[in-house]
Amino acid sequence: MKPKSATAAAQQALWFELMQFYIREAWLLDERRLGEWLDLFTDDVLYFMPRRKNVLRRELHREITERGDLAILEEDKRYLEMRVARLDSGMAWAEDPPSRTRHLVGNLIATPLANGEVEVKTAFLVYRSHLETDHQLLSGCREDVLRPVEGGWKIAKRTIVLDANVLLDKNLSVFL
Amino acid sequence: MEAARNYAIIDPATGKIDRRIFSDQAVYDDEMERIFGRAWLMIGHESLVPEPDDFFHTYMGEDPVILTRDGEGRLHALLNMCRHRGNRVCRADDGNAKRFMCTYHGWTYRNDGSLEHVPGESEAYYDALDRPKLGLIQARVETYAGIVFATWAEDAPSLEAYLGDARWYLDTAFNRRDGGMLALGPVKWLEPVNWKTMVDNCSDNYHVPTSHLSSARVQSRWLGRPRLSHEDQFASPNRHVFVNGHSITFREADDNAPRYVHGISNDTFKAFQDYHDATMPEAERRLGALRARKVQLGNHSIFPNGILGFRLALPRGPLKTEFWHFALLEKDAPEEIKRAMRVGSQANNGAAGLFEQDDVDNWRQVTEASTSRLARRLPQDLSMGIGHAGTHPDFPGVVSERYISENNQRLFYRRWEEFMNAESWADIALDPIKARFDGTATMRG
Repeated sequence: MKPKSATAAAQQALWFELMQFYIREAWLLDERRLGEWLDLFTDDVLYFMPRRKNVLRRELHREITERGDLAILEEDKRYLEMRVARLDSGMAWAEDPPSRTRHLVGNLIATPLANGEVEVKTAFLVYRSHLETDHQLLSGCREDVLRPVEGGWKIAKRTIVLDANVLLDKNLSVFL
Repeated sequence: MEAARNYAIIDPATGKIDRRIFSDQAVYDDEMERIFGRAWLMIGHESLVPEPDDFFHTYMGEDPVILTRDGEGRLHALLNMCRHRGNRVCRADDGNAKRFMCTYHGWTYRNDGSLEHVPGESEAYYDALDRPKLGLIQARVETYAGIVFATWAEDAPSLEAYLGDARWYLDTAFNRRDGGMLALGPVKWLEPVNWKTMVDNCSDNYHVPTSHLSSARVQSRWLGRPRLSHEDQFASPNRHVFVNGHSITFREADDNAPRYVHGISNDTFKAFQDYHDATMPEAERRLGALRARKVQLGNHSIFPNGILGFRLALPRGPLKTEFWHFALLEKDAPEEIKRAMRVGSQANNGAAGLFEQDDVDNWRQVTEASTSRLARRLPQDLSMGIGHAGTHPDFPGVVSERYISENNQRLFYRRWEEFMNAESWADIALDPIKARFDGTATMRG
């Protein structure tokens, strides 16, 4: 029984460490500390949000669009930096005045990979309130690849799959 | 034939527009009938249904429509409404299907629209149904360079006449290559905006330096894209022209530079220039030297609701529009070019696009101003450049003297009046095709 509990303890420790990572990320986003948020990503990150279609069950393999098709977001680090820098310009009207967001992240499942990276799947609910009465609830999942770096983890790949087909938001100007 | 109407919503002498056309339900209902019930509407692209039995679900105004390619390869635009009680017969966005079955009682239609099977045709209906007449309602379908248009109006002119000389410009973006275009998308989202504001904005290059300053600035710094300042816009050699109901802007270029599409940046510029040079002989053969070398399509709209190429503003009530963002790429372009255009397209446009996200609150508040007691009585002002447009020896249509002008927008609302007041297509004027379409490109690509 001993080896099993040792594995369980290691899994628990990893789960705890990763949850802390995602909770911290959520607070960085909700407190608009986007410079620090950017530091959570590797320089070679792919930040990807495919489209989600209504397809018949027999064609479910086509529900989530592949890379190469038009995505909602298909960004590298440079584009992410550009998006963050833009918000500080005082002229990014979609977010000035800024949205009020609440990122809730859970349902974490981690799969360690042979190269030391770990695949992490989480579910999220993000509430966004903007201007006077605009508000949206975005739900979906993130499939991340986290890479070990000195003193912690960085996101080397993020795929965000929304549960919506037609987005009910006037725009998608907050980060998920 | 519809009853006569007498909409006079724009004063051509002052450019003042009655704001109630952006919020009034009765006006909107008239628009659905008189504009979306009559005009040729963009509904899809051939590349979205490349194989036999492929389908793509789309809309004509608010009417749900299935664009199908039948087993013989013919395109159909079928009203997605079972002829029995009106349930939709297709609930998927796209796919491949030989037939569509209504999930209420099982009436089943072939993908050419014909009604193939009715449960209990003898047992329950006593063979009294006129089944051949109960196919799905079909719209007329025609294509332009792979873009699929449809109309409900039997008396509508040909698509070629409807596009008229606008095609002279559109060809420079959509008809350059022998291999045609590939449509990717759409990203779909709802904006609290009247559809007309989105369309008229396609000719509004005045808003760019203010609405999009933050995006232009970071893209100029990070990607080496142009600054798009007021000075740049006012000094721009681009042109603004209204052609047969359609609003066009274009760059008058003779510097052998590639068309400034999404995805051009410092690190991709050489690839785009190489591609431009390599394809120039083909473009010249297809479009003639003048259009291949000197005319580059810019922002534009195709009446009534086609936006910047093949993108759609689908009305969802006076105060709401569903936006469909597609990327249209040249099918035979190298992977590097396609990738850059695809990534550039999502970075700039779409729900999360840097440029597009900043438009929404402006447009929505323009729409909202049409709903409150005092504001709705105050007209919009579209007076910019009145009296400064006319014909041009080289370019078809009504050409503004300056790129930054509201002439296209004024004429868009005049066209709107024309459709709204017409009793039938006989009352809607079409400019004769006068432009010289040099080269081999045709409506069929």
